[in-house]
Amino acid sequence: MTLLLFFLQISWKPESWFGGQILERTPAGLSLVYLIGVAVLLIFLILSFLRNTRLKFAFEENLPKQVKRKLTSTVTNRSLRIWQFVFVALALTVYGFHVYWTYYADKNNEQFQALSYKDLRTRRTNAARLRGWMLDRSGKLGSALAYYKVEKDGTIDRTFALEKEMAHLLGTERGTPGLERTLYKAEADPMPEAWEILTKIKKPEEEQRDVRITIDRDLQAYVAQQLQGKKGAIVVMNPQTGDVLAMYSNPSFALSDAEKLEGYLRLEGDKMNKPLLSRATREYYVPGSTFKTLTMMSAFRAGQQDLMFPDLAAPDCYTPYKNSRPICDAGGSCEICSVSVPLREAYKVSSNQYFAQLANALGRDRMGETARLVGIAPVDTPEDALTQGYFADIWNASNKRIANSISPTRSTIVTGSKLSLYDFGLEGMGQGLAGQMTPFQMALIASAAGNMQGMLMKPRIEADVPPQMFAQILTPQQAAEVRDIMSTVTEEAGGTGGVVKSKLSGTNISTGGKTGTAEKEALVYDQKTGRLKTVTKKRKNENGELVEYQDPVSYERTDGWFICIAPLENPQVAIAVVVEDIGNRFGGQTAAPIAADVILKARELGLLGEQYRPKPQTTQPKKRK
Amino acid sequence: MKNRASSHIVILLLIVFLTAISHYAIHYGALIRGYETSTMTGFRNIALLFLLAILPIFLARFGKFQGNWALYTSAVLLFSIGLTVQYRLFSDQEYVSKKDKAEARQEKIKTAQMHYIQQNYSPEKKQMMGLPPTEKAPVDLSKETPRPSEDSFFGTVFSGRTIIPLFAIACLIGVILLFRRDDVLEILQKNGFLLVVLTLVPLLLAAITSRAGKSIGNMTPWEPAKIPFLIGFAAILAVLYKNLARTYWGVPRAKDVIPLLFMAMLPFFPFFVLKDFGQMMVFSSVYVTLYIIAVRRLPQRFVLIGSVLLLVCVLVVGALPEDTQAKIPLLPTLAKPVKKVLPDRIQQRFHLWLDGFNPPTPETDWWKEDYDDYYKKLVEKEPNLPQMLEEDPNLQKSINVDAWFDILAFQPAQATFGLSSGGTTGRGLGLGYVELIPVSDSDYIYAAIAEELGLFGGLLVIFALITLVSAGIRTAVEARDMFSKLCAAGLTAFIGFQALVNMGGITRALPMTGITLPFVSHGGFSLITSFIMLGMLMAFSHRNSVDRLVEAELINENR
Repeated sequence: MTLLLFFLQISWKPESWFGGQILERTPAGLSLVYLIGVAVLLIFLILSFLRNTRLKFAFEENLPKQVKRKLTSTVTNRSLRIWQFVFVALALTVYGFHVYWTYYADKNNEQFQALSYKDLRTRRTNAARLRGWMLDRSGKLGSALAYYKVEKDGTIDRTFALEKEMAHLLGTERGTPGLERTLYKAEADPMPEAWEILTKIKKPEEEQRDVRITIDRDLQAYVAQQLQGKKGAIVVMNPQTGDVLAMYSNPSFALSDAEKLEGYLRLEGDKMNKPLLSRATREYYVPGSTFKTLTMMSAFRAGQQDLMFPDLAAPDCYTPYKNSRPICDAGGSCEICSVSVPLREAYKVSSNQYFAQLANALGRDRMGETARLVGIAPVDTPEDALTQGYFADIWNASNKRIANSISPTRSTIVTGSKLSLYDFGLEGMGQGLAGQMTPFQMALIASAAGNMQGMLMKPRIEADVPPQMFAQILTPQQAAEVRDIMSTVTEEAGGTGGVVKSKLSGTNISTGGKTGTAEKEALVYDQKTGRLKTVTKKRKNENGELVEYQDPVSYERTDGWFICIAPLENPQVAIAVVVEDIGNRFGGQTAAPIAADVILKARELGLLGEQYRPKPQTTQPKKRK
Repeated sequence: MKNRASSHIVILLLIVFLTAISHYAIHYGALIRGYETSTMTGFRNIALLFLLAILPIFLARFGKFQGNWALYTSAVLLFSIGLTVQYRLFSDQEYVSKKDKAEARQEKIKTAQMHYIQQNYSPEKKQMMGLPPTEKAPVDLSKETPRPSEDSFFGTVFSGRTIIPLFAIACLIGVILLFRRDDVLEILQKNGFLLVVLTLVPLLLAAITSRAGKSIGNMTPWEPAKIPFLIGFAAILAVLYKNLARTYWGVPRAKDVIPLLFMAMLPFFPFFVLKDFGQMMVFSSVYVTLYIIAVRRLPQRFVLIGSVLLLVCVLVVGALPEDTQAKIPLLPTLAKPVKKVLPDRIQQRFHLWLDGFNPPTPETDWWKEDYDDYYKKLVEKEPNLPQMLEEDPNLQKSINVDAWFDILAFQPAQATFGLSSGGTTGRGLGLGYVELIPVSDSDYIYAAIAEELGLFGGLLVIFALITLVSAGIRTAVEARDMFSKLCAAGLTAFIGFQALVNMGGITRALPMTGITLPFVSHGGFSLITSFIMLGMLMAFSHRNSVDRLVEAELINENR
């Protein structure tokens, strides 16, 4: 009776036996029950089979054992037994292969591991698993950069607020990963076995955490807008904390286009515009005069900031050694450059001759040292300069995967002893073998100058990691002096970046900066077909025969640069802008206005500090895009 | 636990009960993924198994069946595992449906996402997404509306999946009753050749007229032809084996060998025309088995095994991937003529077997056609592709890899990933992704078992098979005349080898051939054939027991 009551009391729903909170436990538990049950039955079956020996003939009973054996074991029957044995061995061998694929292939079969991305199961589980949301620096859900949305057809899709504007940062699902694929922790084992579901998983799937990044959604959108129709890149950082506020490279692409293979191939094949390339972090530019900021910082580090160089004789050019080619100012643009001027004046008017002499006076070791401290690799030979790989360690990131996904190509300068004084002089003014600078690197240089302590902060993209120093570059006093000298370019009359001051008039913000204009050898593409332009040339092959080959046509492309910091008293933004192919104009005319607009926008968004923020009534509340 | 029908009926009834549990697990797993399984189909499966479970009562009672029940029970066990996995697959719209495939997949993904959101997202987040702002709460399946299954009583009862097993069971009973009669066996033994020719003529005609291979969907109507072929071979071997054993310098007389060889070669013609290389493989191994068992001369066995091994070597050498061949001196020159002769399909299968994760170069002749098709389709979508290929040679490599894993290697690769993801106990019924493996209800059913029931499930299948084969071999051992001995051995070898070739293909121990796993795989004619074979084995087993009983009685009477 009590037994009956007991049976009535327990619930007969299998959900309640295995833990109903985790839905998967019920089928997992039941299939284990099934497996064990069938196994037990099979054992009974085999036992019954083994015990069921064949029927004996009546006459066999009294025969001696040997005779009985002879009677029953014919050659045929022995063959049958051997065959049975062979069959069991074969069956177990086949099963051994099964064991191999389950236990060893995952760990030891490299081909198999390399192809695991072809497994549709991972795609399926990934599709069903929602990543955390990506929030901008405000941390509000309302300004999420990547989130989920229910589409009209009812599907739940990952949506990006700035799909095109942040494409390089977010990264595509194929090819090199970006933040989207690295910010969220990979699940330990997305495909548990039945017994693991029963024993290990104690609570329902935990949410993947939302991640707040340092990008400002509005600023990023604005920055992207500024470069429309041009090729180039903008990097905006906070020099005090290393926060990357905006980073954009144009032309960009829409992430949804890169999802499908055809779209990806089309983007990949567009060699003229290279939309997949992040120009901000992975394209080398000749930095031009903006690089003089680094030479200047080297001078401060060496205590040589007061160095003056003797007046130059006609033809007003600096010749480092006898019979060397001269280093001149472009088109004789600088009137005072041939006379003895202090650093401050030379920087303001961007004197090539002064900085070439300064670099040679400081020497390769000192220049190389400063370069290393701001993240540039000093290398011995021009051949090494292009093979330094990516520099993930510059990032202040919580793990290596994130740093790798947005790592810049390492910028380099050549400081080897075999370099002539002429070549090194050119480097000091940002030309020649200093031509491997990424815009990101130039933003770091500006940021080092803009830091109140004279430190270079490691750039960071996750808002929740504490700021970290990369290197102490200048003393606070030196840094203040450097900033002061930088302000001559933008604030004083006759500076090359005067346009910034006029744009910022009435805002009470003073800035410092440096313009740059540089030529770079670039390939010519046909505007219509997008194909590389080539000319047919002839050369001799190994056998001495003349063969025709296609030689790409190249031209001197002029790039405009501007790096700046604002506001001068306590810089909150360090900006590097590069615009490709500006024709006959200068960096001060092309890149500097963009930087000024970005500063205005940053002010409006309150990124420069509350005291600079315009009064609310003067600006119209803008609708978010 | 002697060979009593009652104890086996208990085991069978427990199998029915366990299958009911497994069906419930699948039903629940489906609800988690947001769709319903067909209740009708579930009850149909249970009913079928129940019928099989109580069949021994009638066979023992009215049929006076005396044979070994282990044959029957292990076969039913295999059949029940097969029904379970088929239930899993056929209730999944993503697997079954041709038009709604993508839609069903999307719905499943969405269900998983919604469960996740419901459990984890704050009301604010839900609102931002455009969902009603509800608090975080555990998922309650009873409140959800799963995608309904297409469930109709008549549709289920009159579907092929009901009628074919019923027909197979009827065949089983019929065959048991038929083959235990002396006169039937005598007729068969005497007219073996006639039997083979009678089967061959329509088969060859059908094969030549429809070379498409599997003609009606997944049906393989030539499957039952295996049985008359086997009977014919056993019949002629039973006559000739003594003469064959008489050798002159190790070679038997031509007048003995030629009829046997002729008989052995006959079945290969239709299967060659049909390009059913798996069947040929099974046939040859069965014939070799029978010959080795029947003819008792050691040198002859060596000659035979040696020639079979040689054939296998030639095949393997011819189909080895090129980069492997390049490592061994002389091999490429040896392999060249072989490669020319071997059909493309065999070369594909061998490459998939030996080097399946490494795509062949697009120039390989048996792969070129497929690759070019794939490439053409790509070019249609992206006209700039040829130009891009010129500039970037690596691109072709990646296209080749994509093509390889989208076309030829798709199914085997997905199956191997399935094997590997199953682990020890499997993902649990209804929790794996077996629907991603094409045709995993028939050819690739072992992969489905391995994924959802794991190594453990695979072990159960292997041991059920070993039990079945052992019982079959015992039947052959106990048989008293050569014909039924060879027949029983041949049938057992057929079932056993077919299973091994199938499982070996999936686990990459052998090249994949596209034949079914007996009793487990879903299939029309293959299931019927398997049950007929089982029936014959049971009939032979019954005859053995009766022989002994009769003899015992005779002896007792004589005393």
